Amino acid sequence: MTEKSKIETTSGKPAHPQVESLCDQLTAGRIDRRSFLRSMTWLGVTAASASAFAGFIPAPARAETPVAGGKLRFGCAIQEITDPALTSWIEASNLYRNSLEYLTYVDADNIVHPYLAKSWTPSADLTVWDFELDERAKWSNGDAFAPEDVIANIQRWTSPDSKSSNKTAFEAIKLVEKTGPHSVRFTLSRPVASLPEQLYSYTCAIVHRDFDTSGANWPANPIGTGPFKLVSFEVGRQATFAKRADYWGTPAHLDEIQYIDLGTDIATHLAALASNQVDLIYRATIAEYDLMKSLPNIQILTGSAAHTLVMRMQVDAKPFDDIRVRKAVQLAADNKQMLDVVYRGEGQIGGNYHVSPIQPDHFPLEPVARDVAKAKALLAEAGYPEGIDIELTLGNTQGRWEQDTAQVLQQNLAEAGIRLKLNVLPAAQYWPVWDKVPFGATYWAHRPLGSMTLDLAYRSGAAWNESHFADPAFDAALDSAMGTVDPEARKVAMEACQTILRDQAVMVQAYWPARFSAAGKNVRGFVLHPADYFRMDGVWLAKA
Amino acid sequence: MPLILFILRKAGQALATMLAVSLLVFLALEVNVDDVAVKVLGQFSTAEQRAAWLEANGYNAPFLWRYLEWLGGFVTGDWGMSTYYRAPITDLIPDRLAATAWLALGALSLIVPFGLGLGVLAGMRPGSLTDRVVSVLSVVTTSIPDFASAVFLSIVFVFWLGLLPGASTMIGGFALKELVLPVLVLALYSTGYLARITRASMAEVMATPYIRTARLKGASLPRIVFHHALRNALITPITVILLQVPWLLSGVIVVEVFYAYKGFGTLLYEAAINSDIYLIEACAMVSVLVVVTTQILSDLAYGLLNPRVNLLGAPKPAKGDAA
Repeated sequence: MTEKSKIETTSGKPAHPQVESLCDQLTAGRIDRRSFLRSMTWLGVTAASASAFAGFIPAPARAETPVAGGKLRFGCAIQEITDPALTSWIEASNLYRNSLEYLTYVDADNIVHPYLAKSWTPSADLTVWDFELDERAKWSNGDAFAPEDVIANIQRWTSPDSKSSNKTAFEAIKLVEKTGPHSVRFTLSRPVASLPEQLYSYTCAIVHRDFDTSGANWPANPIGTGPFKLVSFEVGRQATFAKRADYWGTPAHLDEIQYIDLGTDIATHLAALASNQVDLIYRATIAEYDLMKSLPNIQILTGSAAHTLVMRMQVDAKPFDDIRVRKAVQLAADNKQMLDVVYRGEGQIGGNYHVSPIQPDHFPLEPVARDVAKAKALLAEAGYPEGIDIELTLGNTQGRWEQDTAQVLQQNLAEAGIRLKLNVLPAAQYWPVWDKVPFGATYWAHRPLGSMTLDLAYRSGAAWNESHFADPAFDAALDSAMGTVDPEARKVAMEACQTILRDQAVMVQAYWPARFSAAGKNVRGFVLHPADYFRMDGVWLAKA
Repeated sequence: MPLILFILRKAGQALATMLAVSLLVFLALEVNVDDVAVKVLGQFSTAEQRAAWLEANGYNAPFLWRYLEWLGGFVTGDWGMSTYYRAPITDLIPDRLAATAWLALGALSLIVPFGLGLGVLAGMRPGSLTDRVVSVLSVVTTSIPDFASAVFLSIVFVFWLGLLPGASTMIGGFALKELVLPVLVLALYSTGYLARITRASMAEVMATPYIRTARLKGASLPRIVFHHALRNALITPITVILLQVPWLLSGVIVVEVFYAYKGFGTLLYEAAINSDIYLIEACAMVSVLVVVTTQILSDLAYGLLNPRVNLLGAPKPAKGDAA
């Protein structure tokens, strides 16, 4: 490890007071390198100097030199896009990600890097954040990227009549103001250590300051700061992006990217890949694993992520308002069997508290063993000695594995006398009711930190609190976790959050499935980002 | 003159059918106005935003009034905007219908010659080896649902032999190669069905006294088939072919979705899964229009092929009946 004095911040200003403590913790072996790097970059330390301090050896130079040019065809749903802040599917964000950029960039290892903001400096109490914007950044219409753009975006996300999920995520922002020709200041109502990371959420793409006055429809007026420009866009059919010659940053390798809508059947996506109609597909599931393995001309891409199916019970809806019923469901569920049967063991077992072992703030709680006898006893105590009839609503929003999981749960619960009926809806019809049904199976996408998910889904009164769970002790523990930079202190706070959530039996969260995708053998530089945030500027096609 | 009367009567019936269907469709999709607001504004909209949208778009008017307004708009060509595609519906439907028409044309170009040909061959000599082979093949192909034959053909021609493309998006323009698999799936099912109908019809005609007379007069088999039997034997198959048209134009959702073929079936499917109500309503009306039009054409064809059928419904006196 190098000396603390060699730590540099992105702004060139003195480092945040907690930086020294983080260095000491790493040296003493109390935190791992990944947590160290992530926390350091939140505080505005450059990833390079933090890595050097942690003794990370730079990755060896690439064996192949990227080839410039070519057209990549990407099999992906072409969903309607109007306002990026209102996007409800990540697929759609991956299209405008080519043309619109974010203030920060979070890589596949969850390390935050400068993007449109070249540096940030938090105050000691983490409530005032100064962002320095990259003065080179330019919009495709020739305008310079300016603090007014950032202010306009934050204001439209958090305004009282905003319909964006950003409204909840950034409700702590009290004020955003211009402090210089290229700088803005965010003033928060409470400390939020992970603010730079949250600014890379898929709905946080920065649009031009005149976005609302020019129709609030991005494909109709596709101004962006990014490395590609939108050439054509047809919902349900195709979208084409071309490389921008006047891009302000490092130019992309590809000349053109064409996204092709291949419908909903992943077997068709693989058929298109096998017959060289596309070079890359968005996602595959375990159901296609054998087929992928049998195809000689493709490469299988795998990864892990904190994405999962949450079968949550509304704590204020009958019969789940009785904690004994919820606990009986949780005790009768066999999480390992669900992972083994549905996902062939490809993933990690869940602990019914919606924080993944791959998230750095995860606290490893002792698992609670399955106990069917105790589940039966609890049901009898709750007034259901003959068992109980309940219904689980689901929509297979990410594929058939959701229903398969529910079917294994159905068998598990039957052993305890819980007769589970499955109400399977089409995917698009599940979303209008996902937060209304008493017992629902909802897919939750990856978030870099467990606390981010808990804040969205389980804080009292949160917009996406589908279980209606409300507990002041949980909220206080979550506040503490979110306002703490120190990874160790954060884990302690997270232990409290996780324990409360698990012991209140809010959900069966059986497992964290592995992720799959596939590409042609000549595709290089594509990173299977855990949140499915696919940046294409580093992707290139090798010559055959 | 009777022909014009016939067409007018049929058109009146078709109009009545369309009106009834339009009321049912509107009732099913728009009776619950809150659902409409959620579908149009999305799940993150607030109750106030939905109420304002309903007020601004006239949803607080009585149901019947709204229906008449919608119907008026539909008749005058104002089909509304698709909430999913963000485009006028009148711009979306013609292209998709044309794409499906290509698919239907491709399928019919296989179904008609092969279905009729195999059926006639089998029905010429009932009980012969040809008849048995054709009958067994027909039963097998009509028994396999289209989604199963789509998977089977993809495994063979895409994954195994690598001869054909796996998706039929036509993104790079019309490509005959991309049309092959969906056309084959549709043809496989319908050719067998048509062959069975033709075979039964042919066999029935071949057993009639006038064919026996022709045989006794020493006419050759080709002459019997082409000069005497075929016209009567084709009445039912032609009707069946015409009834295939509405299915091919608006009912091939499974095949289009499987091959990502951007036709009318996929449009209807995407409208349904994305709760795009104006588009569902328009697609339903277009489907009904296709059905009633082909039914009129089918009745006309039936009348032309079979002179005993009186298009206006009054029985024609048979030869020899006393006046």
